[in-house]
Amino acid sequence: MALLEVKNLGITFGGLHAVDGFSMSIEKGELYGLIGPNGAGKTTCFNLLTGVYKPTMGTIYLDGENITGKSTIDINKAGIARTFQNIRLFSNLSVIDNVKAGLTNNYRYSTATGVFRLPKFFKTEKLMNEKAHELLKVFGLDEESSTMAANLPYGKQRKLEIARALATDPKLLLLDEPAAGMNPNETAELMNTIRFVRDEFDMTVLLIEHDMSLVSGICERLSVLNFGQLLCQGKTSDVLSDPEVITAYLGE
Amino acid sequence: MKGQIDLKRKISPATRGSFITYGMVTAAFIVTQILVSTGRVSNMFQGLLVPFCVYSIAAVSLNLTVGILGELSLGQAGFMCVGAYTGAIFSLMTKDAITSAWVRFPLALLIGGLAAAIFGVLIGIPVLRLRGDYLAIVTLAFGEIIKNVFAALYIGTDSRGVHVSLTSQGDLGLEPDGKMIINGALGISGAPKDSTFVIGFVVLLLTLIVMYNFINSRTGRAVMSIRDNRIAAESIGLNITKYKLITFGLTAFLGGVAGSLFSHNLAVLQASKFDYNLSILILVFVVLGGIGSMRGSVIAAVVLTLLPEVLRSINNYRMLIYSVVLIVMMIFTSNATIRGFFAANFAKLKGVIIKNKPDTAKEGV
Repeated sequence: MALLEVKNLGITFGGLHAVDGFSMSIEKGELYGLIGPNGAGKTTCFNLLTGVYKPTMGTIYLDGENITGKSTIDINKAGIARTFQNIRLFSNLSVIDNVKAGLTNNYRYSTATGVFRLPKFFKTEKLMNEKAHELLKVFGLDEESSTMAANLPYGKQRKLEIARALATDPKLLLLDEPAAGMNPNETAELMNTIRFVRDEFDMTVLLIEHDMSLVSGICERLSVLNFGQLLCQGKTSDVLSDPEVITAYLGE
Repeated sequence: MKGQIDLKRKISPATRGSFITYGMVTAAFIVTQILVSTGRVSNMFQGLLVPFCVYSIAAVSLNLTVGILGELSLGQAGFMCVGAYTGAIFSLMTKDAITSAWVRFPLALLIGGLAAAIFGVLIGIPVLRLRGDYLAIVTLAFGEIIKNVFAALYIGTDSRGVHVSLTSQGDLGLEPDGKMIINGALGISGAPKDSTFVIGFVVLLLTLIVMYNFINSRTGRAVMSIRDNRIAAESIGLNITKYKLITFGLTAFLGGVAGSLFSHNLAVLQASKFDYNLSILILVFVVLGGIGSMRGSVIAAVVLTLLPEVLRSINNYRMLIYSVVLIVMMIFTSNATIRGFFAANFAKLKGVIIKNKPDTAKEGV
């Protein structure tokens, strides 16, 4: 069975069908791409998947569990983590604290344990530090663990966001334009990182991207959205050579 | 040598910062105690010792909501009021049962804090849905409501039990042997004056420890994440309402403790003391001391409590100087250029000290 099963998903804002009857299914361990021209409804689709918007129609199943209409918090607990198109870090926290914030729900001790510094606090914090450093190392950020997140260069902020999402131990990782604003070298490095994450953490990745080199480089399958509707779906090479897709991107 | 370096690395900047604050407060306490015991301190100053602690605790706890949670609350005086009244009533009623102040007073502080915390959580449930200015307005209103309710409250006891009225003393219908506990706007009189500088200092130190430990824990991190970016905090599964309530509750608890400490320092406790000027005053301590800086809150609370009293001798110019100091402090704490100037010079000074250090270390080895 597919890890993510989206059926006939849709949302309307007033009379506007931002996403209309969108379906897709992503297998476990897949690198899946969601592309389309500006305003096609890609980010809206992400917001539906993560519960920021409540869908007006359709269903979403994650690993057999119906998560349609659940809150963002519950959907994260069910196993979907995301990054944002415009970076949303905890900018006044250090790099490592950003990741440790992501670990909050998986490494538990009570507030009282923290305030009174009971033994469990030290034990759990040690485990959290180890896990956080392990994640930071994957993204080459462990040297800067005590830097304030706001002071990181742009490319590293994007990576830190992915690290923080991974800290919540998700089944499915949603990346919203991970290569936006990166130069070709950084993009190539990011592609390797995403592949590494998939292999190392046994992760399923769904990403929105405009950078075709990244899309054709790492995505195994694609869905193309245009005006909120599914235009085309299938293997990357087939989709990218589809005349309809080319028309949607380049015009008649 | 190697062991030393490892040890240095293990102490995080946050831990070092907290211990500097503990040390500073303790040093200030010891110096003051010595001055008091050698009789070099005026009566006026001695009278300020407990208020120093009260205002510091109130400011530090408000800083948790303002600086760490990032929400503006103007209801701190309301929580202090609840704590002050509950603590004083408890002490008044158990004065004969528990004769030792060393047992009774900590209990009174704890009960004052708990009562305020319950209020804080109950009010927090509806109110924390609001943000920014709206939250400030609602908390301000709440503080005023609390004050006015206590000002209209008449409670008395006699052989038939406890009587409560919201209209007048006569309405209680006390028997001749009855005893008034709260006498409306006249408040509570006769609560034992248990507050001392030593206890105030201990409570302040405990407050600071709780505060720093809270911030540097799993919960504190979650709260600061919510402050920095609510949407991202939700996306990593942090329960916003829960963490906001914990923070608000802790702020109310410590505000209540401060109130209870305050009420045991007064001959007569009146609700009018907890008006919105007090809330604003405490917010001023927080803002001038630096939002999010616990050490700053303590320093600002002490300096700004002391200043009006010191300036009493030049009575005519008192408010003038006070306001100039406020403005200067505001400029210094909020202007990036001036802050940068001080930071740079401070770093230079630090560089000189550190440069000298290795030589002495070598000699030592």
